[in-house]
Amino acid sequence: MKHKIYIFVVEDEPEVLDAIVRDLEEFEDIFPIEMADSAEEARDLLSALIDEGHEIGLILCDHVLPGQNGVELLVEMQDKPSTAETRKVLITGQAGLDETVRAVNEADLKHYIAKPWKKQELVETTRKLLTDYVLEQTENPMEFMSVLDSERIADFIRKGRSITDN
Amino acid sequence: MTKVKTTGLFLGIIGFCIPLLMNFQGLSLAGHIAMSIFLLAAVFWMFETIPIYSTSILVIFSQVLLLSTEGIIDFSGVPGYDPQSYTQFIGTLANPIIILFLGGFVLADAAVKYDFDKNLTRILLSPFGNRTSTIMLGLMAVTAALSAFMSNTATTAMMITVIIPIIAKMDKGDPARIGIALSVPFAANIGGIATPIGTPPNAVVIAALNQQGLAVAFGSWMLYALPLAIVMLLVAWQVLLRLHPPATEFVALDLDTKLQKSSHAILLYVTFGITVLLWVTEGFHGIKSSIVALLPVVVLTLSSAFSKQDIRKLPWEVLWLIAGGIALGISMKDTGLASWLVGGIAWGDLSSMMVLVVFGAVTLIMSNFLSNTVTASLLIPLALTLVTSGALDGTFGMLLVGLVIALSASFAMILPISTPPNAIAESTGVLKTKHMLLSGSIIGVIGLILVLLLSVFYWPNII
Repeated sequence: MKHKIYIFVVEDEPEVLDAIVRDLEEFEDIFPIEMADSAEEARDLLSALIDEGHEIGLILCDHVLPGQNGVELLVEMQDKPSTAETRKVLITGQAGLDETVRAVNEADLKHYIAKPWKKQELVETTRKLLTDYVLEQTENPMEFMSVLDSERIADFIRKGRSITDN
Repeated sequence: MTKVKTTGLFLGIIGFCIPLLMNFQGLSLAGHIAMSIFLLAAVFWMFETIPIYSTSILVIFSQVLLLSTEGIIDFSGVPGYDPQSYTQFIGTLANPIIILFLGGFVLADAAVKYDFDKNLTRILLSPFGNRTSTIMLGLMAVTAALSAFMSNTATTAMMITVIIPIIAKMDKGDPARIGIALSVPFAANIGGIATPIGTPPNAVVIAALNQQGLAVAFGSWMLYALPLAIVMLLVAWQVLLRLHPPATEFVALDLDTKLQKSSHAILLYVTFGITVLLWVTEGFHGIKSSIVALLPVVVLTLSSAFSKQDIRKLPWEVLWLIAGGIALGISMKDTGLASWLVGGIAWGDLSSMMVLVVFGAVTLIMSNFLSNTVTASLLIPLALTLVTSGALDGTFGMLLVGLVIALSASFAMILPISTPPNAIAESTGVLKTKHMLLSGSIIGVIGLILVLLLSVFYWPNII
């Protein structure tokens, strides 16, 4: 199976989870979406994906979950080398200041999306963060141009940082 | 390792062993070894078992090891080969044409660093108005002009950043979106033929001609190739307009030019201008283009406009790739392999026109699937040897076949894998491979026909 970069969504309410995944449809051809409804399930799925050789490019995580909360999951991911580079986003209505600060400081939180979200904000954030990820973490970001920020990726190639004449 | 690469690995090793186990009549021992290296390189280049520049490095290493006086084989008393010092092979890395490219790379990378390429594009595009068809012509002209001096790939990438906002504003169903997205890589491929530094296959061909004692001045090359580049640009423009007629007559083009004004940036503009001027006027002042190429390297590094970090980021692997191609040609010629290979065919019975047709067509087909540089590296040693067999007429014939190979290699653009500019355009998702296949084939065939016409009606009159 080909090595893929996943988008990971953690959300305990099924309707909300569906809505997020629907909004991210346009990325799915290239970045498969994996879902979990609790931090515990997420942890298992994440390690399964990584064991199969995949990467997690982006995680969109609710804060209030049954059992362990979202911020704790993000901090845990930040501490593991295999998911340290994953771009981390909280999508929640109920994370307090302290927890959000903790996510910023200890999980390198890249974005906070307040519920209810606008589709455009979610899509733009996803596009920007995944573009950051492929530019930093992959050797040939060109293959992601069709769904990500193609201007930024083209500019990266212009600066000679991935392919040259042959 | 993928299946293709593994297949390539096995075939390459088998190819390397065959000449060592066989005894070909009339081929020297060194010729057998050169054939082993040739087959290994050809297979590795075709299957990309290892990166193509690594294959080039492997070629040079094998030659030092097996064909030089310092190598492991003692050729004294073995007839048919007079081995040279290993410096002949590693020296290809400082071949004048490599230095010319180095100068070009420094100039191009510095231009990118100070956004000169972007801003120049915006300035040059402004006279083309806002009609869809003329904007397309403008985009193509600017792309071709830049890619004549910069890498085709970097130029395409830069132009993609210009066309994406244009395409985004167009109606989703407008066929001109596809036309515009194809116009940029095609123009970059075509623009590369215009100057010796436009694209690496030119380098391989010019270096091979130099080894035959035939010097090609920068300006002479432009005299041979620039008219063709201009005609092909217009052809490609018309082909794309007809295949993908614009649905709207006008498109919006936002051009905000912010030419950098720092002292380093200004120094770059001046150096760029002077270097290009000295290159194209080589015929008047006689200073060799590779010597002129040192000018940007010296000026931009001593002023720190081009820093140590920038030097590290130069595309060194492209220089290795070209050097390997040059080195391969040297040993094919010196060991007698090239003349042995072409000796098997009764080329003398063919008219010189047929020879050019064959090499042009083979080059075009091969470079659609292989790297253009690799195609030129594999074919040019064989083609130049034909002169000794009488199928081509002396130095004039060598120049003709050299031009045919270099120019046909750049007209291969039917697939995303044909050239990196095509790959970039395809990756934007605006067009499908079938679009590239159709227009690329038409342009390739017209290009080949024009090259052959020039070799009959134009080049003989000016060489």
